[in-house]
Amino acid sequence: MNSIKNLISLPFRGQGVLFLLLFSFTMSAQNYPSGKSILDKVDRNMSSKTRIMTSKMEIQGGRSVRTLESKSWIEGEQKAYTEYLSPAREKGTKMLKLENQLWIFSPSTDRVMQISGHMLRQSVMGSDMSYEDMMSDSPLLERYKAEVTSEEMIEDRRCWVVTLTAIKENVNYHSQKIWVDQERFVPLKMDLFAKSGKLLKRTTLGNVQKMQGRWFPMEMTYKDMLKEGKGTKMTVVSIQFDGAIPAGVFNKSNLK
Amino acid sequence: MIMNNIDETNSTPPLGVGGKNIKNESNFKSPLGVGGSFLFKGLIRDKSRSLLPIIVVTVGVMMTVFLEAYMSGIFSDSIESTARFSSGHVKVMTTAYRENLSQMPNDYAMLEVDNTLEMLRTDFPDMIWTDRIQFGGLLDAPDSLGNTRSQGNVLGMGIHLLNSSDEIQRMDLQTKLIEGDFPQKQGEALITKELARKMKLVVGDQVTLMSASMYGEMAMYNFRISGLLHFGTEALDRGMIVADINDVRFALNMENAAGEILGFFSDSPYDNSRAEALAANFNSKNTDTQDKFSLTMAPMSGVGGMDFMIAYSENAQFLVIFIFIIAMSVVLWNTGLVGGLRRYGEFGLRLAIGESKHEIYRSLIIEALFTGLVGSFIGTAVGLFFSWLMQKYGIDVSGMMQNTQMMLPTVFRSQISTTTYWIGIIPGVLSTVIGAMLAGVGIYKRQTASLFKELEN
Amino acid sequence: MNNIGKTNSYSPLGAGGNNIKKTNIDSPSGLGGKGGLFLFKTAFKSLIGNGLKTWLNVSVLSVSFVLIILLQGVLKGWSEQAVEDTVRWEIADGQYWQEGYDPYDPFSLDSSAVAIPARLQGDVNSQNLEPVLISQASIYPGGRMMGVLLRGIRPDQKLLKIPTELLVVNDNESEIPVILGAYMARQTGLKLNDVLTLRWRDKNGTFEAADIRVAGIFKTSVPSVDNGSLWLPLDKLQSMTLRENAAHLLIKSPEIEAKQVTGWSFKSVEDLTASTMLLVKTKSMGTSLLYVIFLLLAMLAIFDTQTLSIFRRQREIGTLVAMGMTPRQVMWHFTLEGTFNALLSFVVGAVWGTPLLWYLSNKGISFNMDASEIGVAMGDTMYASVTPGLVFGTMLFIIVITAVVSYLPARKIAKMNPTEAIRGKAI
Repeated sequence: MNSIKNLISLPFRGQGVLFLLLFSFTMSAQNYPSGKSILDKVDRNMSSKTRIMTSKMEIQGGRSVRTLESKSWIEGEQKAYTEYLSPAREKGTKMLKLENQLWIFSPSTDRVMQISGHMLRQSVMGSDMSYEDMMSDSPLLERYKAEVTSEEMIEDRRCWVVTLTAIKENVNYHSQKIWVDQERFVPLKMDLFAKSGKLLKRTTLGNVQKMQGRWFPMEMTYKDMLKEGKGTKMTVVSIQFDGAIPAGVFNKSNLK
Repeated sequence: MIMNNIDETNSTPPLGVGGKNIKNESNFKSPLGVGGSFLFKGLIRDKSRSLLPIIVVTVGVMMTVFLEAYMSGIFSDSIESTARFSSGHVKVMTTAYRENLSQMPNDYAMLEVDNTLEMLRTDFPDMIWTDRIQFGGLLDAPDSLGNTRSQGNVLGMGIHLLNSSDEIQRMDLQTKLIEGDFPQKQGEALITKELARKMKLVVGDQVTLMSASMYGEMAMYNFRISGLLHFGTEALDRGMIVADINDVRFALNMENAAGEILGFFSDSPYDNSRAEALAANFNSKNTDTQDKFSLTMAPMSGVGGMDFMIAYSENAQFLVIFIFIIAMSVVLWNTGLVGGLRRYGEFGLRLAIGESKHEIYRSLIIEALFTGLVGSFIGTAVGLFFSWLMQKYGIDVSGMMQNTQMMLPTVFRSQISTTTYWIGIIPGVLSTVIGAMLAGVGIYKRQTASLFKELEN
Repeated sequence: MNNIGKTNSYSPLGAGGNNIKKTNIDSPSGLGGKGGLFLFKTAFKSLIGNGLKTWLNVSVLSVSFVLIILLQGVLKGWSEQAVEDTVRWEIADGQYWQEGYDPYDPFSLDSSAVAIPARLQGDVNSQNLEPVLISQASIYPGGRMMGVLLRGIRPDQKLLKIPTELLVVNDNESEIPVILGAYMARQTGLKLNDVLTLRWRDKNGTFEAADIRVAGIFKTSVPSVDNGSLWLPLDKLQSMTLRENAAHLLIKSPEIEAKQVTGWSFKSVEDLTASTMLLVKTKSMGTSLLYVIFLLLAMLAIFDTQTLSIFRRQREIGTLVAMGMTPRQVMWHFTLEGTFNALLSFVVGAVWGTPLLWYLSNKGISFNMDASEIGVAMGDTMYASVTPGLVFGTMLFIIVITAVVSYLPARKIAKMNPTEAIRGKAI
């Protein structure tokens, strides 16, 4: 179940969260730079008007690890289209997200299914993942105040720790922490917390490479901290920033 | 000879000491050896007196036999229906699956099920083995454009539906199918009527199942609804889909895998000690506590809740039958007693003619034995016949049960077992003979004259 | 073996002409006035005179009699207990349900958690209504996620037997106290004082997690308060989910009357226990065939004895008729004699059945088990519930059918030719 979430959400989430950092505003702490300024710099690395990306995802099953390959076309934060390339079973499965709507097409069933209404809010077949989790949130800094709270080392990289605290009620996580590389301005770790302060989810990013004039993490591992297991690992195979995407891509008729 | 006498005597009441009887009484030549046939003749000829004991024994034995089968039937019914529907008499699964049984954890499903099935069938040839998959998911109904029109959560079951009606019979799906047909080909499934109503589906409609594959990916599969089921259990009726296991395998990417393999005793209903022994034997060979994918076998009593039901029904059934047999024995004993007592007059006469008390007593016992055997035989046959009817057709009380919300056995059935065949003999023969033996004691106690006097009464 | 002699000595024949004279021959039924009393006495004496045979019949009939009461009693006791347990653990004197609440649909919980209506707030404050708020959550026993239902209830509630006093929060305690049923504890492997992480979402969908501590494990026979549920303080759950003063259910005390409240519907005890009653109804239908078989057995014995005794006593019958009794009167005599079997069986049954029933009613039959997983409220001790109505009803029933069975062979008497009968050749 967990991996369903990963399957659907990772291409968006990996994207979405980072994207949203764009809209930060200044909440300066004494000696540290302001949260907004850090997140702005992160955005220069991470965000682009469009991106076309091929990635691989490793899903930890009960017995084995399975790898899924997909190609995504993303424009801004409201539009995303993903097509699965392998394995054979998943080939041709497509997903389209337009604002708050999510459609899935499966070639084996020749059906376009919408995940909507209260289904969005509910967990996917008893998993901890709600369909809502896959959807785009409103800009991060509209919902959170950002503050640099400390400096920490991750591996051998010195990081700013940016703490995000919810200023609105309707957020999935009350607070988040982002470790941002002080030199490259790439996030290396993101933790999601409950209001009680309990760590719920952790995303770690790695294999940061310089490409097309920016630093970009090519690996990302997403883990539900309350569950056992190693989490799900996503690897970027290729990525193209600000390429042209034909308008027809983000159309429902493109699913079938 | 002696028997001959007795039988002839029986053909007319002792009160009517008519010449005809006396004539027969005077026939002393018949030796014991040919007694059987005479006795039998006597039993057949006898209209008014030997017939009654036989009828009583027959009816009594018939009731015993019928009760035994009926009790087995109603007591095993709730147990068997659970076994057939979900737990099996034993169930084979992986250790991790068993630990998380309530969550239908197909990520812990067994692989290479055909090998496992073959092994089970070789090692336990007196069991019937069948593989099943239980799963959860979301059912999605399309509109005319193929877009989502309605959705509903479902519990799913993949069983052998195509090319075999074993599982249909085992799960008694025939009676639960209230509309449409069973799947005839791949890609067809049954859903519950209540779910169909909620999702505005009718037989023939296409639906898509969204679930998680055994490896955790999203799984989607189309089914055509071939029929609608009604279980009478709200939990099941509100969202259940039943499809052929191979369809489910395909849908959930579980090729040659299954969540569980159910085993049933081919020759008997649930037998707890046998199931436990079987499981212990299997587990000692196959279960490795370190390996969560090693196989484990759970007897039905090891699956939640059923331990009590099993113990309860075993005890209650024994108790009721025990009481009944005691009571039945008393009645038949009484019959034997009455049969003996009423003939004191005749015995007096026979003693007067010169038979020894010993011979008379023996003839009385042998006659009782004959009555008991004939009665038991007929009674068992008739009882088995009625039990068979009751096993086949049952009494359907569903008409009396309005708005059933639970999955209850609404048809009461009997169940014939090996016990059913011999149980009637206990009251039928033993009691009749004991009754006659007790009655016959009077022969020794009394004087010939006083016995003879009874004749006049 | 003396009984044959005795039979005759108590028979009307041996009772002398005195009695016969007194008999009102004009009375067609033979049951009225002194004649009736006469029949009554002689029939009784004649039956007792049958000795062992009679007692054997009577003992069988008494087994049937006691067994019917016993099985009915256990079944009745079981159903009463099931209902009583449900009342004590779950529903008290009925429940108000929020309109959208559907116990089988966890998705209905979000939309049906609404503020307690003002009209009922007074009763809530006076503890005549106990609000229950329900919310979905997850726990992670063994690292695997498991869905649970959180049920918030006031720790000081008095309406239900759930040991909610264990939920009183210590100020210095950081964990949220929860209590759960024994079955749930077994399912999750949780033990007393275990601390584990709970994750839920508040009304806005924000994930929240906190540690909970198992403050108590209770044993209940009512599955719906056990299976899949964690109970915790209502105010805690309300604040955890940001649903101030909200509830799905309001459990009513018998002290107050149910009212009409918009948006809420009241479910009476009868409504809420209908399925249990249905189960009992089915069970009793299943066992009724058992009574029939047992009664048939007793009737077989009586029929057998009746037929033989009428056959044996033809001369007596003939003589009675010759002396002026109508065949009908003699027939009634024999019917009555057979029917007395029933009365004697009541006496015998009372002798051995009363202690047994007393024991079952007060001590019960104990089963070492946890039946909550069967899905029906069922205690591990079953008590019989024997009421006078049950006893007298069963008695009346047995008398009637014994009379019928005694009457059937006795009908022959009415058709007998007295002369033939005296000669013993009527049948």
